[in-house]
Amino acid sequence: MSNFKAVGSRLLQLAFVLWAVVTILFLMFRLMPGNPMAAYIDPTFTLEQQQQLMAQFGLDKPLWQQYLIYLGNLLQGELGQSFRYRAPVGERIFELLPNTLILTFSSLIVAYAFGILAGAYLAWRRGSWVEQAAIPMVLTTRAMPEFWLGMVLLAIFSFSLGWFPAGGTRNPGAEYSGLLDLYTSRDFLAHLALPAATLAIYSQGLPLLLMRSNMLDVMKEDFVTMARIKGLSNWTVVVRHAARNALLPVMTSFAIAVGYQLQGNVVVESVFSWPGLGRELVNAVAASDYPLAQGAFLMIALVVIFMNLLADLLYAFLDPRISHA
Amino acid sequence: MPEVAAVKTSVSEAVVPEVAAPRRPNIIARFFRTLRLPVNDPFAVAGLVIYLIFIATAIFADSIATHDPTEILYTPSYDLAADLRPGQDGFLMGTTSLGRDVFSQLIHGSRSALLIGVTAAFMVALIGSIIGLVAGYFGRWVDAVLMRLADIAFGIPFLPFVIVLAAFLKPSIWNVVLAMALVLWRDTARVIRSQVLTLRTRGYVEAARVAGSSDFRIILRHIAPNILPLSFLYGSIAIGWAILTEASISFLGFGDPDSISWGYMLQDAFASQALAKQAYYWFVPPGVCIILVVSAGFFITRGYENILFPKLNR
Amino acid sequence: MTEPLLSVRDLRVSYQVGRNFVHAVDGASFDIPRGSITGLVGESGCGKTTVARALTRVIADNATISGGQILFDGKDLAKIPEKEMNALRWRDIAFIPQSAMNSLDPVYTVEYQLGEVLRRRGGMDRKQARARSEELFDMVGIDRGRLTDYPHQFSGGMRQRVAIALALALDPKLIIADEPVTALDVIVQRQILDQLKELQTRLGLSVILVTHDISVVAYICDRTVVMYAGKVAESGTMQQTLTAPSHPYSMGLRNAFPDLQGAASGILTPIEGAPPNLANPPAGCRFRPRCPFALDLCGSEPPVIDVAPGHPVLCHRASESENLRIEAAKTETWMARA
Repeated sequence: MSNFKAVGSRLLQLAFVLWAVVTILFLMFRLMPGNPMAAYIDPTFTLEQQQQLMAQFGLDKPLWQQYLIYLGNLLQGELGQSFRYRAPVGERIFELLPNTLILTFSSLIVAYAFGILAGAYLAWRRGSWVEQAAIPMVLTTRAMPEFWLGMVLLAIFSFSLGWFPAGGTRNPGAEYSGLLDLYTSRDFLAHLALPAATLAIYSQGLPLLLMRSNMLDVMKEDFVTMARIKGLSNWTVVVRHAARNALLPVMTSFAIAVGYQLQGNVVVESVFSWPGLGRELVNAVAASDYPLAQGAFLMIALVVIFMNLLADLLYAFLDPRISHA
Repeated sequence: MPEVAAVKTSVSEAVVPEVAAPRRPNIIARFFRTLRLPVNDPFAVAGLVIYLIFIATAIFADSIATHDPTEILYTPSYDLAADLRPGQDGFLMGTTSLGRDVFSQLIHGSRSALLIGVTAAFMVALIGSIIGLVAGYFGRWVDAVLMRLADIAFGIPFLPFVIVLAAFLKPSIWNVVLAMALVLWRDTARVIRSQVLTLRTRGYVEAARVAGSSDFRIILRHIAPNILPLSFLYGSIAIGWAILTEASISFLGFGDPDSISWGYMLQDAFASQALAKQAYYWFVPPGVCIILVVSAGFFITRGYENILFPKLNR
Repeated sequence: MTEPLLSVRDLRVSYQVGRNFVHAVDGASFDIPRGSITGLVGESGCGKTTVARALTRVIADNATISGGQILFDGKDLAKIPEKEMNALRWRDIAFIPQSAMNSLDPVYTVEYQLGEVLRRRGGMDRKQARARSEELFDMVGIDRGRLTDYPHQFSGGMRQRVAIALALALDPKLIIADEPVTALDVIVQRQILDQLKELQTRLGLSVILVTHDISVVAYICDRTVVMYAGKVAESGTMQQTLTAPSHPYSMGLRNAFPDLQGAASGILTPIEGAPPNLANPPAGCRFRPRCPFALDLCGSEPPVIDVAPGHPVLCHRASESENLRIEAAKTETWMARA
């Protein structure tokens, strides 16, 4: 019962944050220097098109009315027309979203699998030279600009060794019958490898450090000592009790990492010409394609906010102290 | 008698008498204790040394640099000095495709990094600490409002926000500082707030309140000194964030075209096909500089963490 | 009298703190007979918990068993290889911890945690483990339906019963209970102690009950081992150690506690001062700085005097104990030193 209430209030909070971000975005694009109409109307459109858009977004009306129209349009999923593509923004965004999600999830799953194991291992080897050497190395990966790491990998593995293609998602001229067909092709995976590796190398530090410090804390807990007094095997003590408990916050952090990763994608997608939301945002801003920029921004914000919520729910679900309250 | 092998656990019995509770802190003493350099941690020392070199380089950039970083240079035979390898024609680290000296750019890049890093860190730590302090101390609706603001800040994707901001405002290195001040205070504020919440229940704060001290006085004398170390910690982490963010923004082409930064160098190299030309001398050094400065911040923080949170010391 | 189940001889355990060694247990000797409850009492920091944990050989990272013997069932637990020791754990020596809340893994149900011991350590299959878990819950008086609950869903007293059920799971020869009721309120304390006593009598268990609370000892124990500053001050039957104690420290302890039955039987008189710092213990008798009966002679190492068969006392003046008891009953005796 109280669970439902907690989830309900959390959803309310989500709606509030969403509204606030949408409003901030509206103000940013309307109050920016220059002609406010430029946010929606491409000067190269025909006069007729321009007038139609003026009416659709109420650009001839006072600001507060524009705001209401803007909210109404958003609720209907109407994001406007992209200047460059002469197509609805929503369409373009949903075309790019899968690419971004595939890149994000594949790199994060690798990063988390590695980070969790390595973190548990380093906690176990606390004080050893392996740990002494590994921790500064991990911190160094956190200090790298992601795009620079991408550049180095690109220079070595693509331009120098020629093992991987330099960018995009498929070889020029390659045709696929469908998305599934594309995503499972060798071609696609070869293109995915370097950007995913870049993001994974950068991201593994978080789960690794988190897992390690949680393990060190949990190993001090009474129930771990009790497990030893029970004569349980070292494996059972470390894995079933210590690691199982230490894993809780790490799993939660996965959802938050997805949100962060989407932001990092902005640069890495640009390095690898990966047709995703982040690169589109950069290109749209650079080309003053404001409707598209606004749409891409909103989509990224939506995922970030939703992932923050998911993190909370995941924690509640995974921790019996909350799920079985 | 030989030692007996036994299963070891970390739970130790309290044999040694507890250390006496810390005395109420004196602001000044506390501050200096905080700044005590973590000299027994080799990594922290390495971090401090990197910082010192970094700062010195930024200050004396003009004397260290061999050329004007934006000047287009020519070889003695009056050819454009483009894409020269390190050492060729006396260019220490080679030249860019436009004929500019990589080494001089690298040296001058430390200036914008230092400027952005320090100002952004200061802003983030200051705003975050004040919001956290006020929210935690006054509680109730003040807290509710401020923490909802933090929720919103957490809902804003940071890098896209900086990009949009940088595109709308005039290109300037201050965009990054502004964006960080607008968004990144959230992490510091949350941590400081929870710290204040625990501090508020401490006996001496309670006592000061009962004794009729004003809120301002309690915050200044009893709470602020205790959260200063945390603000400091988050500030040092923000230095790294600022430098990385500036690099990303410049790399994407939204940076200040008039100032040489490491991010700008990387963007220049990337756009000039330095990767295909295998011009490692051009795009590796700026990245290494960023890593050195940012990780130096991490190492120093870690050293301070050991002092601030002795629990992690083992 | 039959041979004791457990015989600890000159046990020494030290902690390394920085560069120093703290001898938390410094030559403790006592016997635990079969089929009885022995109370191991003393102030916190006297080494009683360290002794209890040393018996399982699961001790802190910085601790070492640096000497002595732990004779159990014909084996010296201080010397047998780790593998052999691990085989003994829980099957022969089980443990009831102070706080069942922290000692039960929060992410598993109680049934899982009972099953883990029954299957991994007791060699049972799933079905047998299930049946045994139900039987154990019946024994400690918890509804079988609650087996699938998580630890945090139980009340403090219930959790302590779960901990008892866990300890009984494999029919151990010895159960060590480390402050099993300290964290509970007085009424629940009594219920748990009654339960423990009832199970002990019915199943003929041998129990070591570690506690700082002499009223708990008085309530259910048959024998007592009184520890002070890492050494055993005196040990014997309840009659010998509590009703007519021979060590001044036991006399003081008795004055300092109410009994569990309710009202205090007299005025409570605390023992002034604090136990010595074990990193740097006083020479001679360690109780000397707080003892109202200390003489110059007490500056030398006190002898162990058997005032009666099976009643050793670590005191120079053990033979005068009858007179000292009369003095010790007066509050002024203990106030004078303050």
